[in-house]
Amino acid sequence: MADSKKTGSGSNSAEKKEFFLFRWLRRAFFPNKELDIYAEEQVQSPVRTVVRNFFSKPIAVTALVVFIIIALFVFIAPNFVTLDLGEQDSTLVNISPGYSMRKFPGALEKNGVQSLSVGNNYSVACDKEGKTYVWGKTKVTKLINLAEIPDEVKSAKIVQVAAGSDHIVALDDKGAVYAWGYSRLGQTRLPAEIQSNNRMHEFGIKSIYASDQFSAALTDDGRLFFWGNENFADLTYRAEEFDGHVTDVALTNVCYVILTDDGGVHSATENGKFATDRIPEAAESGVVSISASSNTVAALKEDGTVLVWGAATKGETKVPEFPSKVVDVEGGRYHYTALLEDGSVMSWGSNRYKQSEAPKSLDGGKAVKLWTGSFQNYVLTEDGDLESWGLKGFLLGTDGLGRDVFARLVNGGKMTMTIGALSVVIEMIIGIILGGLAGYFGGVVDMVVMRIAEIVGSMPFIPFAMILSAVMGTKVSIEQRMYIIMVILGVLSWPGLCRLVRAQIFAQREMEYVVAAKALGVKESKIIFSHIIPNVMSVCLVSITLAFGTSMLTESSLSYLGFGVPLPTPTWGNMLTNANNSIVIQNYWWNWLFVGAIFGVACICINLIGDGLRDALDPKSNGR
Amino acid sequence: MKKYLLKRIVYLVIVFFVVSLMMYMIYNLIPSDPALVQMEPLRKTLKPDEWTRQYNELREKMGLNAPLIVRYARWMGFMPDPDGSWSGMLQGNFGYSVSYKRNVTEIIGTPMLNTILLNFLSTIITLALTIPLGIYCAVHARKATDNAIQVGTVIGYSLPTFLIAILFIYIFAVLLRLLPAGGAKTPGSNFTGLREFLDRLYYLILPIIVLVFTGLAGMTRTVRAAMMDTLSQDYIRTARAKGLKEKVVIYSHAWRNALLPVSTSIMGWMIGVFTGGSLVIEQTFALNGTGKLYWSALTTTDYELVLAMQMFYTLVSLIGVLLTDLSYTLVDPRVRIDK
Repeated sequence: MADSKKTGSGSNSAEKKEFFLFRWLRRAFFPNKELDIYAEEQVQSPVRTVVRNFFSKPIAVTALVVFIIIALFVFIAPNFVTLDLGEQDSTLVNISPGYSMRKFPGALEKNGVQSLSVGNNYSVACDKEGKTYVWGKTKVTKLINLAEIPDEVKSAKIVQVAAGSDHIVALDDKGAVYAWGYSRLGQTRLPAEIQSNNRMHEFGIKSIYASDQFSAALTDDGRLFFWGNENFADLTYRAEEFDGHVTDVALTNVCYVILTDDGGVHSATENGKFATDRIPEAAESGVVSISASSNTVAALKEDGTVLVWGAATKGETKVPEFPSKVVDVEGGRYHYTALLEDGSVMSWGSNRYKQSEAPKSLDGGKAVKLWTGSFQNYVLTEDGDLESWGLKGFLLGTDGLGRDVFARLVNGGKMTMTIGALSVVIEMIIGIILGGLAGYFGGVVDMVVMRIAEIVGSMPFIPFAMILSAVMGTKVSIEQRMYIIMVILGVLSWPGLCRLVRAQIFAQREMEYVVAAKALGVKESKIIFSHIIPNVMSVCLVSITLAFGTSMLTESSLSYLGFGVPLPTPTWGNMLTNANNSIVIQNYWWNWLFVGAIFGVACICINLIGDGLRDALDPKSNGR
Repeated sequence: MKKYLLKRIVYLVIVFFVVSLMMYMIYNLIPSDPALVQMEPLRKTLKPDEWTRQYNELREKMGLNAPLIVRYARWMGFMPDPDGSWSGMLQGNFGYSVSYKRNVTEIIGTPMLNTILLNFLSTIITLALTIPLGIYCAVHARKATDNAIQVGTVIGYSLPTFLIAILFIYIFAVLLRLLPAGGAKTPGSNFTGLREFLDRLYYLILPIIVLVFTGLAGMTRTVRAAMMDTLSQDYIRTARAKGLKEKVVIYSHAWRNALLPVSTSIMGWMIGVFTGGSLVIEQTFALNGTGKLYWSALTTTDYELVLAMQMFYTLVSLIGVLLTDLSYTLVDPRVRIDK
């Protein structure tokens, strides 16, 4: 290296002090003057010729640009799109791409909101004229779409709506209850009394409630009816004790609590086995309204204080200080939002999807009514404007565990590219050093190195990488396993590069220009560093480019087979493992299409760049 | 030639044993103790001293205390087992599969036939398509059709096999509903004779299409490059100068010579498919082949089966390398091997 510094082949003295690598790069990319063809033959470095040839190929340059964009994207975007590896949510599973969850229809706002309810990934509302609107991710299954409102509901004047995870309940002005949506678990099977009431109008229904897979109706005279999936939720009800006294109900995902006319919150189930059933003493009197998140219950007392209890996991119980008296509290999945007397709103609890970032000031003036559910909040202002905040949807949808595909795509890309690049670096270090040694020393060294290369090269690649990963990858952390994969890929793939370097050094040593240099009495070390190595490097460049593509492919194949980077850490390969399933291929195309597309484009680009480089290096393609 | 062949075979055998020794060493990295597995149920019935004594005896009997190289030699069949019997790989004992509860030799037959059938069919189809296509591209080099085919082939060989498989399942099985998305035969059917064979072929169509598509790209480029190289040779110029028709030049003079380098790369490609490609394909299409067997053996930590399969893969790729080298010398008289 010391030799290379002082033996720069440049013509001016300033160049001699530069580090050789910088000199090559500078000459390669910033040529100081164009040479005519004969002058170039004599002095222009091969790297520069290659670079010029390469940049004259539009396809290769386009591929390079696209690849650089993809690479920058996957290395920069993860800084903004964070990924929580443990994150999953059963209510956010397999959501199709798009930001439609909070896009309520304009007619609703214009006619005035009568009632609104937020379900899982969709919302339902009725306006002052009794018309029902449904928006968001309304497709529950391939056939069931919540947006297909039944005709009887369309013709009725709806005054109240309630949304469950996959069913909707509506109440009309005559006290008839309607339910539609997914019905296999009894979500839409109305109790006999309500069915007969729908026909005969025997009693008035005050309000309706819906949670994940069950619903409730409260009558004017304080009676309660439940229906839905009893296997999942505890729907037992001590009717003789509470009927006639119930004034409000709050449904969690698996249970419910009631508010009675004495202002106390009670657990009315027969078992009382959930955390929400352990009512705090303070909530036994003076409560004006209750509301529930998925696993907790909030009670608003007469003096404006808010009590929260239950199985809180995301800070639902951390009730903030309110600047003025609380008028209403509504619960989402993991957060609560409170409407204050001064017309402002405050939220607390989970803020994963910015659902508890209540706007400081509302455009339409003071808030008068609040609806919260799932990960969204809606507020009706004095002027009749409807405002919302919270989760609006996922750019590329979510996968089978409710994880954001976009976040996994960018983070997985970073992982795949890092592994590809580092394994190529390992391959390069081993391949170039061993190839260089074999080519330079020849004889016994060459023999030994080549035999090792042949042994490694004759190992079946993927099976061998699989067994190495299976044997070495157990009982290590994900990060260590990642490094193991890189090393395996690098260690198994160097023979090709090694042979190439060796052959190149052999070939270059016999070239006329080397003979000429020798005849001129140039030192051996100078011949190697300033004549042979630049020529060898330019050929290796193609091999390295293609090796990067191959490494990415191999890593993804290994991950696809389950022997690469393990889940939940995403890579483009193991994200596509999900797609090895006809249901996913058929119904949830966003799980594989985007990853496949970006990965495919990246691989194609690398190969096009490699092809372009190869053509650029090939003297035959120079047209002379 | 004979001397060269002999030299190569000796070399192959040496490499095989070196690789197998390495494999055996890797295999021994796995913490497993078959003696403990056998003795564990007896732990409660025996006194601790007695148990330890029996355990050590069993270890001795199973040869687990011997040094690694001795165990390797026994496994390979160079040395007798502690009880004096010879039961190594060379004697035809490939080990016992824990998950199948049978000898490896009994399990491996059907999957291997399936894999061979799959690879044989896809190779034939690929060659039947690529050779004419490659020649066509070379003859019409840098014209619109050639460029289009070149772009298509870049896509084909850039994309990973599993991605192409998923895409083709989506197109052929989900959208068009022409072909089954996976499996080896119609569920619940018990066809016999020709019917069974046709049913099996029907389920092989999509895997074959995927394999052909992935192979098509690389091979077409190889054929095209070889053909273009040949077309720039002096004897082609001579043939043209003689006034021969272009058809005669291409189909009588050029293409035979162009196929010489191609025939050697076919071997390498087939080995790649046999070892790597079929793993992914069989996994994706749920086919009962060697790749699937290897995968399930690895996931169920059935390491004797893994080791046997690994030896098989190594042998296949070593023989492949040998055949590739030999085919060079056979098809191209310019390559001399006496040195």
